[in-house]
Amino acid sequence: MIKRLGTAAFAASFAIAAWTGAATAGEVLDRVQRTKTLTVAVGTDWGAGSHLDESHEFVGYDVTIAKQIAASLGVEVKFVTPSWDLIAAGNWDGRWDVAMGQMTPTKERAEKLDFPATYIWGPTSAVIHKDSKATKPSDLEGKVVGVTSGVTGEAYANHNLAPAWLNADPITYQFKPGKVKTYGTSNVAFDDLRLGDGVRLDAVIADTSIALDAIKAGYPLRVLEPALFNSPGDIAIQRGDKEFSDKIAAAVKQMKDDGTLSRLSMKWYGVDYSKEQ
Amino acid sequence: MTAINISQPEGGLDGGSPSGIGNVLHVQPLSSQESFSQQQVPMSADKIIEATNVSKWYGTFRALTDVNLTVRKGERIVICGPSGSGKSTLIRCFNRLEAHQEGEITVNGIRLHNKMRNVTEVRKNVGMVFQHFNLFPHMTVLMNCMAGPMWIKDVPEAEAKKTALKFLKRVRIPEQANKYPVQLSGGQQQRVAIARSLCMEPAVMLFDEPTSALDPEMVSEVLETMTSLARDGMTMVCVTHEMGFARAVADRVIFMDLGRIVEEGKPNDFFTNPQHDRTKLFLSQILRH
Amino acid sequence: MLYQDTVESEVLVHKPWFIAAMFAVVLAVFLMVNLTGTTFGELMRPVIGAPMQSGIYGRVAIAFVIAVMFCVNIVLIGFAPLKAQIGIVWIELLALFFSFFKAFNLSMPFIWENLPYLITQGVVTTIYVSAVSLICASLIAIIAAIAKLSSNGFAYAIANFYTSFFRGLPLLMQIYLIYLGLPQLGIVIDAVPSGILALSLCVGAYMTEIFRAGIQSIDRGQWEASRSMGFGFGLTMRRIILPQALPVIIPPMGNTFISMLKDSSLVSVLGVWELTFLARTLGQPTFHHMEMLITASLIYWIMSACLEVGQSRLERHFGRSKVR
Repeated sequence: MIKRLGTAAFAASFAIAAWTGAATAGEVLDRVQRTKTLTVAVGTDWGAGSHLDESHEFVGYDVTIAKQIAASLGVEVKFVTPSWDLIAAGNWDGRWDVAMGQMTPTKERAEKLDFPATYIWGPTSAVIHKDSKATKPSDLEGKVVGVTSGVTGEAYANHNLAPAWLNADPITYQFKPGKVKTYGTSNVAFDDLRLGDGVRLDAVIADTSIALDAIKAGYPLRVLEPALFNSPGDIAIQRGDKEFSDKIAAAVKQMKDDGTLSRLSMKWYGVDYSKEQ
Repeated sequence: MTAINISQPEGGLDGGSPSGIGNVLHVQPLSSQESFSQQQVPMSADKIIEATNVSKWYGTFRALTDVNLTVRKGERIVICGPSGSGKSTLIRCFNRLEAHQEGEITVNGIRLHNKMRNVTEVRKNVGMVFQHFNLFPHMTVLMNCMAGPMWIKDVPEAEAKKTALKFLKRVRIPEQANKYPVQLSGGQQQRVAIARSLCMEPAVMLFDEPTSALDPEMVSEVLETMTSLARDGMTMVCVTHEMGFARAVADRVIFMDLGRIVEEGKPNDFFTNPQHDRTKLFLSQILRH
Repeated sequence: MLYQDTVESEVLVHKPWFIAAMFAVVLAVFLMVNLTGTTFGELMRPVIGAPMQSGIYGRVAIAFVIAVMFCVNIVLIGFAPLKAQIGIVWIELLALFFSFFKAFNLSMPFIWENLPYLITQGVVTTIYVSAVSLICASLIAIIAAIAKLSSNGFAYAIANFYTSFFRGLPLLMQIYLIYLGLPQLGIVIDAVPSGILALSLCVGAYMTEIFRAGIQSIDRGQWEASRSMGFGFGLTMRRIILPQALPVIIPPMGNTFISMLKDSSLVSVLGVWELTFLARTLGQPTFHHMEMLITASLIYWIMSACLEVGQSRLERHFGRSKVR
């Protein structure tokens, strides 16, 4: 689950500096219906959410949901893979209509993007080497902790995570790291952690689902219970097209109500993340 | 080969001095120059180059001062003088490699000036041979000769090749046609450069110290080529220190110093009876050894 | 080659002081790292006993053996003729390099499974983007170089600004500028053309300087000879100056192309599925990212090597008029 708060300052500054404002009402929906194509931004390396299978086709939780939304609109789906920075910067210029990616809706982002529907609630955990003596998050007080840059985990480690989503609980910080090391991707942080307990890192703060994947792939790691916090992952669209937003919201609500989301979550994550925990 | 064969076999310097003077000793006795040139150049002949009151500056340095010179068709002129006297500058003005600031230069009836649009017309008709040959090193000898006619005069390739071979034969190196310039000796390169200019069939040939960069034993082969061109009636303006060549070939010898024409005259008068002290000094220095 | 003296000097690697020095250095280096737990330690088992328990004795013994092997190796290579020396050293370095990669414990089946896709999708896109950029960059560079050498103040200023701007800005910024900035002017271009445009402009700026230096290296006499034949500017440039400048231009241009081949990976931020994009993302979900990154590195290396070969071929081709 990718829940980046900040984006590369550069990409964002462009979008803000020359921000042309929102799409006019119905513009995106018109385009989608005219071209009979819903262009969706996904990633090839977003874990169980979206990745390529053996025949290099897109599969995953996000991908399946995007396909269903397109089906409910009665159009074809087309996937593009811009970098996260470009997605989060907003100002898409019609290059794609919808971004999956389980984006955490924050106040800053809400100025550029609309978030029609939450489709996942994911936990973030502290991950440690299996030889570590830590048994609960508070044991990590003063330790060296790795995080991925720009995501909610980094904000948690630095004690500046300000939840901006609806009905958000205030965050309680269970430990203060002695030193925070920032990585480009969580995989590299895991690579450093696997070298041994305390060799480079004592722990990594990451999405629980990715940590579980790493353990499944043979990484000698352990997830510390309980999870540090939960946060929602939303579908993002360009700001201002209310009709389009409503259509997406309706499609997701339908999937939520008929149990499709739960089923998909069980399939891809082995856990039902589709409901708020 | 020319009608009057003035050349001797290459290397046939019969033990003479390898200096410039020595080289021309064997071209000198071949004909009576005075009568020959007077017959060839009646004073009424067309003016090919006419320079009146030409002055040129490099910044504040005055390179040419009020130069007047007329070159008629068929005329052979040798310009000499100490280094820095402006003789190269003068002939480089004739095809506008250099710009003059005052006076008028007319070449083949076309006046040279800053804004002229037909400079190619002038350059097509004015061949130039440089001290350092300036052959195009990335082309074969043959291509060096063919390039001008093909690219400027739109001559078909086959015909350009025929012309090129004709003139390479004329300068006696047809067998080097497919070599690159670096593979030739200095003398051979300079003869290719002459052939290259001839291929454009120019109205006048300018020679800018063509033998100064050559090893002594190669000077004669270039001078022979030039002499034979002169015999064929080519209009020539040569900047050279080869006094033997001047004596044998020139209709007029011009002596320049400090950007001015100091003295000019028929070779016999010029060499035997120079008028100005500066000319006398120059000749005594250059002919001493 | 350096300009060699005709007097042969003594072979350096056969001088006792040099061998002794190398021995000392290698011994010191390997004393600092503990290799007892590695395959090499296992090989030494008959001498040092159980590798993990051998302690300082095991370390010294291993370092000593490696130092001896190294010195014997360089002394032996010193006897070989030049060509063989080059070959042997290359092979040895390559073998070391691969044994280093082996230490990553890579999953070969994963590599083989994804290699065809890496090539058909990634390499093809990389080559396509690089090749188109290369052609555009060359055209831009020739024009800009001429503008920079011209006496037209307007053209000079534009060309000068261009090279300064595009050499001064990081390529990544240029890519963002074109991808995100141009739409503000109403020009929305896709990821691949954006990437090609950015690469062309950036590489073109570097090549402008290469072309300028190449053109300036040509003797004035060539201009004069060409002019005296009546050739105009275009003809002189095309047929006389540029062909002669090429041999000067090609070595630095080969350099630029090789670095561009790798810089083309920056367009992956726009979601272009070129080699680096796939290398970064294909292995991520299954935690096989090192496999993909190393494979992609080797592919880049091979492509660079091909460019190097092409460069030396071209150099030889254009050097033919210099052979006496």
